[in-house]
Amino acid sequence: MIPVKEILLPRSIDEVCRLLHNNNGSSKIIAGGTDILPGFHIESPRFKNIERLIDINNVKELKSVSVDNDVISIGSAITFSEIISNQILNENLPLLVKASKTIGSTQIRNRATLGGNFINNAPCADSVAPLLVYDAEIKIKSYNSEKVMKLQDFLVKPYGTRLNSDEVVTHIMIPLPSKKYVGDFYKLGRRRAVTISRISLAYLIESVNGIINDLKIASGAVTPIGTRFYDVEQFAKGKILNDDSIKEIAIKLGEQILDVSGIRWSSEYKIPVVQHVCYQLFKEIERGSNLIK
Amino acid sequence: MEIRFTLNHNSVTAVIEPNLRLLDLLRNQFHLTGTKEGCSIGECGACTVIMNGKAVNSCLVLAGQCEGAEIITIEGIEKDGKLHPLQENFLKSGAIQCGFCTPGMIMSAYALLLENPNPTEEEIKDAIAGNLCRCTGYKQIIDAVEKSAKEVEK
Repeated sequence: MIPVKEILLPRSIDEVCRLLHNNNGSSKIIAGGTDILPGFHIESPRFKNIERLIDINNVKELKSVSVDNDVISIGSAITFSEIISNQILNENLPLLVKASKTIGSTQIRNRATLGGNFINNAPCADSVAPLLVYDAEIKIKSYNSEKVMKLQDFLVKPYGTRLNSDEVVTHIMIPLPSKKYVGDFYKLGRRRAVTISRISLAYLIESVNGIINDLKIASGAVTPIGTRFYDVEQFAKGKILNDDSIKEIAIKLGEQILDVSGIRWSSEYKIPVVQHVCYQLFKEIERGSNLIK
Repeated sequence: MEIRFTLNHNSVTAVIEPNLRLLDLLRNQFHLTGTKEGCSIGECGACTVIMNGKAVNSCLVLAGQCEGAEIITIEGIEKDGKLHPLQENFLKSGAIQCGFCTPGMIMSAYALLLENPNPTEEEIKDAIAGNLCRCTGYKQIIDAVEKSAKEVEK
Protein backbone atom coordinates (compact mmCIF):
# COMPACT_ATOMS: atom_id res chain seq x y z
CA MET A 1 0.00 0.00 0.00
CA ILE A 2 1.46 3.33 -1.08
CA PRO A 3 0.43 5.95 1.51
CA VAL A 4 1.24 9.00 -0.63
CA LYS A 5 -1.43 11.70 -0.90
CA GLU A 6 0.51 14.36 -2.76
CA ILE A 7 3.44 14.59 -5.17
CA LEU A 8 5.22 17.89 -5.68
CA LEU A 9 7.56 18.70 -8.57
CA PRO A 10 9.85 21.59 -7.57
CA ARG A 11 12.26 23.07 -10.13
CA SER A 12 14.93 24.61 -7.88
CA ILE A 13 16.85 23.80 -4.70
CA ASP A 14 15.28 26.83 -3.00
CA GLU A 15 11.83 25.50 -3.80
CA VAL A 16 12.77 22.07 -2.40
CA CYS A 17 13.95 23.73 0.84
CA ARG A 18 10.73 25.76 1.12
CA LEU A 19 8.66 22.60 0.70
CA LEU A 20 10.71 20.82 3.39
CA HIS A 21 10.53 23.71 5.85
CA ASN A 22 8.93 22.62 9.15
CA ASN A 23 8.62 19.06 7.86
CA ASN A 24 7.38 16.79 10.62
CA GLY A 25 8.45 13.67 8.76
CA SER A 26 5.38 13.30 6.58
CA SER A 27 7.22 14.78 3.59
CA LYS A 28 10.01 12.91 1.90
CA ILE A 29 12.23 13.55 -1.07
CA ILE A 30 11.97 11.04 -3.90
CA ALA A 31 14.37 10.76 -6.83
CA GLY A 32 14.67 7.33 -8.46
CA GLY A 33 12.26 5.73 -6.01
CA THR A 34 13.98 2.34 -6.40
CA ASP A 35 14.28 1.94 -2.63
CA ILE A 36 11.18 3.88 -1.59
CA LEU A 37 8.62 2.04 -3.74
CA PRO A 38 9.69 -1.46 -2.63
CA GLY A 39 9.82 -0.01 0.91
CA PHE A 40 6.15 0.99 0.64
CA HIS A 41 5.18 -2.51 -0.46
CA ILE A 42 6.73 -4.20 2.56
CA GLU A 43 5.28 -1.47 4.79
CA SER A 44 8.73 -0.60 6.00
CA PRO A 45 8.48 1.55 9.14
CA ARG A 46 10.96 3.91 7.48
CA PHE A 47 8.40 4.92 4.87
CA LYS A 48 5.15 4.30 6.71
CA ASN A 49 3.91 7.82 7.42
CA ILE A 50 4.91 9.50 4.21
CA GLU A 51 2.04 11.54 2.82
CA ARG A 52 3.88 13.96 0.60
CA LEU A 53 6.64 13.15 -1.88
CA ILE A 54 8.89 15.86 -3.23
CA ASP A 55 10.24 14.68 -6.58
CA ILE A 56 13.62 16.30 -7.29
CA ASN A 57 14.15 14.94 -10.80
CA ASN A 58 13.26 18.29 -12.39
CA VAL A 59 15.81 20.27 -10.36
CA LYS A 60 18.60 20.83 -12.91
CA GLU A 61 21.13 22.00 -10.27
CA LEU A 62 20.89 18.56 -8.68
CA LYS A 63 21.91 16.78 -11.88
CA SER A 64 25.04 18.74 -12.73
CA VAL A 65 28.70 17.69 -12.67
CA SER A 66 31.35 20.41 -12.54
CA VAL A 67 34.98 20.97 -11.54
CA ASP A 68 35.89 24.13 -9.71
CA ASN A 69 39.13 24.87 -7.81
CA ASP A 70 40.18 21.22 -8.08
CA VAL A 71 36.94 19.99 -6.51
CA ILE A 72 34.49 17.84 -8.45
CA SER A 73 30.92 18.69 -7.55
CA ILE A 74 28.22 16.15 -8.39
CA GLY A 75 24.51 16.88 -8.07
CA SER A 76 22.92 14.37 -5.71
CA ALA A 77 20.13 13.43 -8.14
CA ILE A 78 22.52 12.19 -10.83
CA THR A 79 21.53 8.68 -11.90
CA PHE A 80 24.01 5.82 -12.09
CA SER A 81 23.52 5.73 -15.88
CA GLU A 82 24.45 9.41 -16.01
CA ILE A 83 27.55 8.72 -13.90
CA ILE A 84 28.59 5.90 -16.24
CA SER A 85 28.33 8.13 -19.32
CA ASN A 86 29.86 11.27 -17.77
CA GLN A 87 33.29 12.15 -19.15
CA ILE A 88 34.53 14.13 -16.13
CA LEU A 89 33.69 11.25 -13.81
CA ASN A 90 35.22 8.63 -16.12
CA GLU A 91 38.46 10.58 -16.24
CA ASN A 92 38.73 11.39 -12.56
CA LEU A 93 36.66 8.98 -10.49
CA PRO A 94 36.99 5.61 -12.23
CA LEU A 95 36.23 3.62 -9.05
CA LEU A 96 32.88 5.37 -8.72
CA VAL A 97 32.12 4.66 -12.38
CA LYS A 98 33.12 1.01 -12.00
CA ALA A 99 30.93 0.63 -8.90
CA SER A 100 28.02 2.35 -10.68
CA LYS A 101 28.17 -0.22 -13.48
CA THR A 102 27.65 -3.02 -10.96
CA ILE A 103 24.52 -1.52 -9.41
CA GLY A 104 21.19 -3.16 -10.23
CA SER A 105 20.03 -3.51 -13.82
CA THR A 106 19.89 -0.97 -16.64
CA GLN A 107 16.35 -0.06 -15.55
CA ILE A 108 17.51 0.54 -11.97
CA ARG A 109 20.61 2.50 -13.03
CA ASN A 110 18.40 4.71 -15.22
CA ARG A 111 16.42 5.83 -12.16
CA ALA A 112 18.47 5.25 -9.01
CA THR A 113 20.60 8.17 -7.89
CA LEU A 114 23.95 8.63 -6.18
CA GLY A 115 22.40 10.67 -3.37
CA GLY A 116 19.65 8.13 -2.87
CA ASN A 117 22.17 5.32 -2.59
CA PHE A 118 23.98 6.71 0.47
CA ILE A 119 20.98 8.48 2.01
CA ASN A 120 19.17 5.14 2.06
CA ASN A 121 22.51 3.84 3.40
CA ALA A 122 21.92 0.13 2.99
CA PRO A 123 25.01 -1.85 4.06
CA CYS A 124 25.35 -2.98 0.44
CA ALA A 125 25.16 0.53 -1.11
CA ASP A 126 27.86 0.11 -3.75
CA SER A 127 28.73 3.76 -4.25
CA VAL A 128 29.76 4.28 -0.63
CA ALA A 129 33.16 2.54 -0.53
CA PRO A 130 34.44 4.44 -3.61
CA LEU A 131 33.09 7.74 -2.26
CA LEU A 132 34.86 7.12 1.06
CA VAL A 133 38.26 6.47 -0.54
CA TYR A 134 37.81 9.61 -2.62
CA ASP A 135 37.30 11.57 0.66
CA ALA A 136 33.83 12.75 -0.41
CA GLU A 137 32.07 15.57 1.40
CA ILE A 138 28.43 16.42 1.00
CA LYS A 139 26.56 19.71 0.93
CA ILE A 140 23.30 19.81 2.86
CA LYS A 141 20.72 22.58 2.60
CA SER A 142 17.60 23.52 4.44
CA TYR A 143 15.34 26.59 4.32
CA ASN A 144 17.70 28.63 6.47
CA SER A 145 20.98 26.78 6.65
CA GLU A 146 23.70 25.24 4.56
CA LYS A 147 26.45 22.94 5.74
CA VAL A 148 29.21 20.72 4.46
CA MET A 149 29.99 17.40 6.12
CA LYS A 150 32.32 14.50 5.46
CA LEU A 151 30.37 11.60 4.01
CA GLN A 152 31.73 9.22 6.62
CA ASP A 153 30.41 11.48 9.40
CA PHE A 154 27.03 11.66 7.68
CA LEU A 155 26.62 7.87 7.61
CA VAL A 156 25.61 6.69 11.07
CA LYS A 157 24.24 3.15 10.92
CA PRO A 158 22.51 0.82 8.46
CA TYR A 159 19.68 2.84 6.91
CA GLY A 160 20.56 5.76 9.18
CA THR A 161 22.22 9.11 8.44
CA ARG A 162 22.47 12.56 10.00
CA LEU A 163 19.99 14.01 7.51
CA ASN A 164 17.20 15.94 9.23
CA SER A 165 13.70 15.78 7.79
CA ASP A 166 13.85 19.41 6.63
CA GLU A 167 17.16 18.99 4.78
CA VAL A 168 18.21 18.03 1.27
CA VAL A 169 21.63 16.76 0.20
CA THR A 170 22.42 18.90 -2.83
CA HIS A 171 25.93 17.95 -3.89
CA ILE A 172 28.72 15.45 -3.39
CA MET A 173 32.11 17.16 -3.44
CA ILE A 174 35.32 15.29 -4.12
CA PRO A 175 38.82 16.75 -4.24
CA LEU A 176 40.29 16.04 -7.68
CA PRO A 177 42.33 12.87 -7.04
CA SER A 178 46.03 13.00 -7.80
CA LYS A 179 46.99 11.00 -10.88
CA LYS A 180 49.68 9.33 -8.77
CA TYR A 181 47.07 6.97 -7.33
CA VAL A 182 46.00 3.71 -8.85
CA GLY A 183 43.19 1.64 -7.46
CA ASP A 184 40.28 -0.65 -8.00
CA PHE A 185 36.74 -1.48 -6.93
CA TYR A 186 35.80 -5.07 -6.28
CA LYS A 187 32.33 -6.47 -5.69
CA LEU A 188 31.29 -9.98 -4.80
CA GLY A 189 27.63 -10.98 -4.95
CA ARG A 190 25.81 -14.29 -5.11
CA ARG A 191 25.69 -14.09 -8.90
CA ARG A 192 27.41 -12.02 -11.54
CA ALA A 193 24.73 -9.63 -12.79
CA VAL A 194 21.99 -7.63 -11.05
CA THR A 195 23.27 -8.71 -7.69
CA ILE A 196 23.39 -7.36 -4.17
CA SER A 197 26.89 -7.00 -2.73
CA ARG A 198 28.02 -9.42 -0.07
CA ILE A 199 31.49 -7.94 -0.06
CA SER A 200 32.86 -4.85 -1.74
CA LEU A 201 36.24 -3.17 -1.48
CA ALA A 202 37.56 0.07 -2.91
CA TYR A 203 41.10 1.30 -2.60
CA LEU A 204 43.53 3.87 -3.93
CA ILE A 205 47.26 3.46 -3.52
CA GLU A 206 50.29 5.56 -4.29
CA SER A 207 53.57 3.71 -4.41
CA VAL A 208 56.99 5.13 -5.15
CA ASN A 209 59.84 2.80 -6.12
CA GLY A 210 57.99 -0.18 -4.73
CA ILE A 211 57.21 1.45 -1.38
CA ILE A 212 53.66 2.28 -0.31
CA ASN A 213 53.48 6.02 0.12
CA ASP A 214 49.75 6.29 0.72
CA LEU A 215 46.76 3.96 0.90
CA LYS A 216 43.03 4.61 1.16
CA ILE A 217 40.85 1.57 1.61
CA ALA A 218 37.15 1.12 2.38
CA SER A 219 34.65 -1.72 2.46
CA GLY A 220 30.95 -2.12 1.82
CA ALA A 221 28.42 -4.87 2.65
CA VAL A 222 30.89 -6.86 4.77
CA THR A 223 30.69 -4.11 7.42
CA PRO A 224 27.39 -2.75 8.84
CA ILE A 225 27.88 0.39 6.73
CA GLY A 226 30.59 1.49 4.30
CA THR A 227 33.77 1.94 6.36
CA ARG A 228 37.25 3.41 5.83
CA PHE A 229 40.11 1.53 7.53
CA TYR A 230 42.54 4.15 8.76
CA ASP A 231 44.49 1.66 10.89
CA VAL A 232 45.17 -0.51 7.87
CA GLU A 233 46.17 2.57 5.90
CA GLN A 234 48.66 3.62 8.60
CA PHE A 235 49.92 0.07 8.86
CA ALA A 236 50.62 -0.09 5.12
CA LYS A 237 52.41 3.22 4.80
CA GLY A 238 56.15 2.90 4.24
CA LYS A 239 55.94 -0.85 3.62
CA ILE A 240 57.72 -2.38 0.68
CA LEU A 241 55.28 -3.86 -1.80
CA ASN A 242 56.18 -7.53 -1.66
CA ASP A 243 54.40 -10.78 -1.02
CA ASP A 244 55.02 -10.78 2.74
CA SER A 245 53.81 -7.24 3.37
CA ILE A 246 50.78 -7.72 1.12
CA LYS A 247 49.84 -10.78 3.19
CA GLU A 248 50.28 -8.74 6.39
CA ILE A 249 48.03 -5.97 5.06
CA ALA A 250 45.37 -8.48 3.99
CA ILE A 251 45.42 -10.15 7.42
CA LYS A 252 45.23 -6.77 9.14
CA LEU A 253 42.21 -5.79 7.00
CA GLY A 254 40.39 -8.98 8.00
CA GLU A 255 41.06 -8.27 11.69
CA GLN A 256 39.82 -4.70 11.36
CA ILE A 257 36.63 -5.83 9.62
CA LEU A 258 35.95 -8.30 12.44
CA ASP A 259 36.49 -5.47 14.93
CA VAL A 260 33.88 -3.34 13.19
CA SER A 261 31.27 -5.95 12.35
CA GLY A 262 31.75 -8.46 15.18
CA ILE A 263 31.56 -12.18 14.56
CA ARG A 264 28.58 -13.10 12.39
CA TRP A 265 27.41 -16.43 11.05
CA SER A 266 29.05 -15.55 7.75
CA SER A 267 32.38 -14.38 9.19
CA GLU A 268 34.05 -17.71 8.76
CA TYR A 269 33.41 -17.49 5.05
CA LYS A 270 33.63 -13.78 4.43
CA ILE A 271 36.81 -12.82 6.27
CA PRO A 272 39.11 -15.22 4.37
CA VAL A 273 37.45 -14.09 1.14
CA VAL A 274 38.05 -10.42 1.95
CA GLN A 275 41.64 -11.18 2.87
CA HIS A 276 42.22 -13.11 -0.30
CA VAL A 277 40.59 -10.42 -2.45
CA CYS A 278 42.74 -7.78 -0.76
CA TYR A 279 45.82 -9.93 -1.39
CA GLN A 280 44.93 -10.39 -5.06
CA LEU A 281 44.26 -6.70 -5.57
CA PHE A 282 47.58 -5.69 -4.06
CA LYS A 283 49.43 -8.35 -6.04
CA GLU A 284 48.13 -6.56 -9.14
CA ILE A 285 49.93 -3.43 -8.01
CA GLU A 286 53.10 -5.36 -7.25
CA ARG A 287 52.94 -6.74 -10.78
CA GLY A 288 52.32 -3.22 -12.03
CA SER A 289 49.46 -4.47 -14.12
CA ASN A 290 46.51 -2.74 -15.62
CA LEU A 291 44.86 -1.06 -12.69
CA ILE A 292 42.41 1.76 -12.97
CA LYS A 293 44.23 5.07 -12.97
CA MET B 1 -3.87 15.40 -9.50
CA GLU B 2 -3.75 15.99 -13.23
CA ILE B 3 -0.73 15.11 -15.35
CA ARG B 4 0.14 15.69 -19.00
CA PHE B 5 2.66 13.58 -20.82
CA THR B 6 3.36 11.93 -24.13
CA LEU B 7 2.22 8.35 -24.47
CA ASN B 8 3.24 6.42 -27.56
CA HIS B 9 3.80 9.68 -29.45
CA ASN B 10 0.45 11.25 -28.50
CA SER B 11 -0.09 14.02 -25.94
CA VAL B 12 -2.35 12.78 -23.19
CA THR B 13 -3.83 14.02 -19.94
CA ALA B 14 -4.79 11.88 -16.97
CA VAL B 15 -6.42 12.52 -13.64
CA ILE B 16 -4.71 10.30 -11.09
CA GLU B 17 -4.35 9.51 -7.43
CA PRO B 18 -0.86 10.47 -6.19
CA ASN B 19 -0.18 6.90 -5.04
CA LEU B 20 -0.79 5.42 -8.50
CA ARG B 21 2.16 3.74 -10.22
CA LEU B 22 2.94 4.37 -13.88
CA LEU B 23 2.32 0.64 -14.42
CA ASP B 24 -1.26 0.92 -13.11
CA LEU B 25 -1.90 4.08 -15.09
CA LEU B 26 -0.87 2.34 -18.32
CA ARG B 27 -2.79 -0.85 -17.69
CA ASN B 28 -5.94 0.35 -15.95
CA GLN B 29 -6.58 3.83 -17.31
CA PHE B 30 -5.08 3.58 -20.80
CA HIS B 31 -5.81 -0.16 -21.13
CA LEU B 32 -2.32 -0.79 -22.47
CA THR B 33 -2.06 -4.24 -21.00
CA GLY B 34 1.04 -5.23 -22.94
CA THR B 35 3.08 -3.92 -20.02
CA LYS B 36 3.05 -6.69 -17.41
CA GLU B 37 3.30 -6.75 -13.66
CA GLY B 38 5.65 -9.40 -12.32
CA CYS B 39 7.56 -8.86 -9.09
CA SER B 40 6.47 -5.24 -8.34
CA ILE B 41 9.90 -4.44 -6.87
CA GLY B 42 12.06 -3.77 -9.89
CA GLU B 43 13.71 -7.14 -10.22
CA CYS B 44 11.96 -8.96 -13.07
CA GLY B 45 11.64 -6.26 -15.74
CA ALA B 46 8.22 -7.41 -17.01
CA CYS B 47 6.90 -3.85 -16.59
CA THR B 48 9.73 -2.18 -18.53
CA VAL B 49 8.73 0.86 -20.59
CA ILE B 50 10.73 3.71 -22.13
CA MET B 51 10.70 6.97 -20.19
CA ASN B 52 12.49 9.88 -21.85
CA GLY B 53 14.50 7.49 -24.00
CA LYS B 54 15.56 5.20 -21.15
CA ALA B 55 14.30 1.79 -20.05
CA VAL B 56 12.66 1.98 -16.62
CA ASN B 57 10.61 -0.32 -14.41
CA SER B 58 7.12 1.19 -14.50
CA CYS B 59 6.37 -0.49 -11.14
CA LEU B 60 8.95 1.81 -9.51
CA VAL B 61 7.76 5.06 -11.07
CA LEU B 62 4.78 6.92 -9.68
CA ALA B 63 2.43 8.30 -12.31
CA GLY B 64 2.71 11.68 -10.60
CA GLN B 65 6.41 11.73 -11.48
CA CYS B 66 5.63 11.53 -15.20
CA GLU B 67 4.51 15.12 -15.78
CA GLY B 68 6.01 16.18 -19.12
CA ALA B 69 7.64 12.80 -19.72
CA GLU B 70 7.73 10.82 -22.95
CA ILE B 71 6.56 7.28 -22.37
CA ILE B 72 6.70 4.49 -24.92
CA THR B 73 5.18 1.08 -24.27
CA ILE B 74 5.23 -2.13 -26.29
CA GLU B 75 2.06 -0.90 -28.04
CA GLY B 76 3.95 2.15 -29.30
CA ILE B 77 6.75 0.59 -31.31
CA GLU B 78 4.85 -0.81 -34.29
CA LYS B 79 4.45 1.45 -37.28
CA ASP B 80 1.25 1.62 -39.36
CA GLY B 81 0.18 -1.82 -38.25
CA LYS B 82 3.58 -3.31 -39.04
CA LEU B 83 5.48 -4.93 -36.20
CA HIS B 84 8.84 -3.51 -35.14
CA PRO B 85 11.81 -5.64 -36.29
CA LEU B 86 12.34 -6.67 -32.66
CA GLN B 87 8.79 -8.02 -32.47
CA GLU B 88 9.17 -9.80 -35.82
CA ASN B 89 12.46 -11.37 -34.84
CA PHE B 90 11.30 -12.46 -31.41
CA LEU B 91 8.54 -14.38 -33.20
CA LYS B 92 10.82 -15.78 -35.89
CA SER B 93 13.67 -16.75 -33.55
CA GLY B 94 11.48 -18.60 -31.08
CA ALA B 95 12.31 -15.97 -28.48
CA ILE B 96 8.74 -16.15 -27.21
CA GLN B 97 7.25 -18.99 -25.28
CA CYS B 98 4.70 -17.99 -22.64
CA GLY B 99 5.19 -14.36 -23.64
CA PHE B 100 4.94 -12.80 -20.21
CA CYS B 101 8.47 -11.38 -20.16
CA THR B 102 8.40 -10.48 -23.84
CA PRO B 103 7.06 -6.89 -23.78
CA GLY B 104 9.55 -5.89 -21.08
CA MET B 105 12.36 -7.75 -22.80
CA ILE B 106 11.60 -6.05 -26.11
CA MET B 107 11.42 -2.61 -24.49
CA SER B 108 14.84 -3.13 -22.89
CA ALA B 109 16.22 -4.18 -26.27
CA TYR B 110 14.45 -1.23 -27.91
CA ALA B 111 16.12 1.18 -25.46
CA LEU B 112 19.48 -0.44 -26.18
CA LEU B 113 19.10 -0.01 -29.94
CA LEU B 114 18.11 3.65 -29.47
CA GLU B 115 21.50 4.32 -27.87
CA ASN B 116 23.61 1.67 -29.52
CA PRO B 117 22.43 0.49 -32.94
CA ASN B 118 25.21 -2.05 -33.23
CA PRO B 119 25.57 -3.79 -29.85
CA THR B 120 27.90 -6.66 -29.04
CA GLU B 121 26.56 -9.83 -27.43
CA GLU B 122 27.90 -8.64 -24.06
CA GLU B 123 26.12 -5.31 -24.45
CA ILE B 124 22.87 -7.10 -25.26
CA LYS B 125 23.26 -9.32 -22.20
CA ASP B 126 23.90 -6.27 -20.05
CA ALA B 127 20.86 -4.45 -21.47
CA ILE B 128 18.51 -7.34 -20.70
CA ALA B 129 20.12 -8.37 -17.39
CA GLY B 130 17.16 -6.76 -15.61
CA ASN B 131 14.60 -8.86 -17.50
CA LEU B 132 13.93 -12.35 -16.25
CA CYS B 133 12.68 -15.05 -18.60
CA ARG B 134 11.77 -18.40 -17.06
CA CYS B 135 10.84 -20.44 -20.10
CA THR B 136 12.21 -19.39 -23.48
CA GLY B 137 15.88 -19.22 -22.61
CA TYR B 138 18.09 -16.26 -23.27
CA LYS B 139 19.94 -17.62 -26.29
CA GLN B 140 17.02 -17.14 -28.66
CA ILE B 141 16.31 -13.72 -27.19
CA ILE B 142 19.89 -12.56 -27.75
CA ASP B 143 19.76 -13.93 -31.30
CA ALA B 144 16.55 -12.00 -31.96
CA VAL B 145 18.08 -8.76 -30.70
CA GLU B 146 21.25 -9.26 -32.76
CA LYS B 147 19.20 -9.91 -35.88
CA SER B 148 17.03 -6.87 -35.24
CA ALA B 149 20.02 -4.61 -34.73
CA LYS B 150 21.23 -5.45 -38.21
CA GLU B 151 17.79 -4.77 -39.72
CA VAL B 152 17.17 -1.54 -37.80
CA GLU B 153 20.57 -0.22 -38.83
CA LYS B 154 19.86 -0.65 -42.56
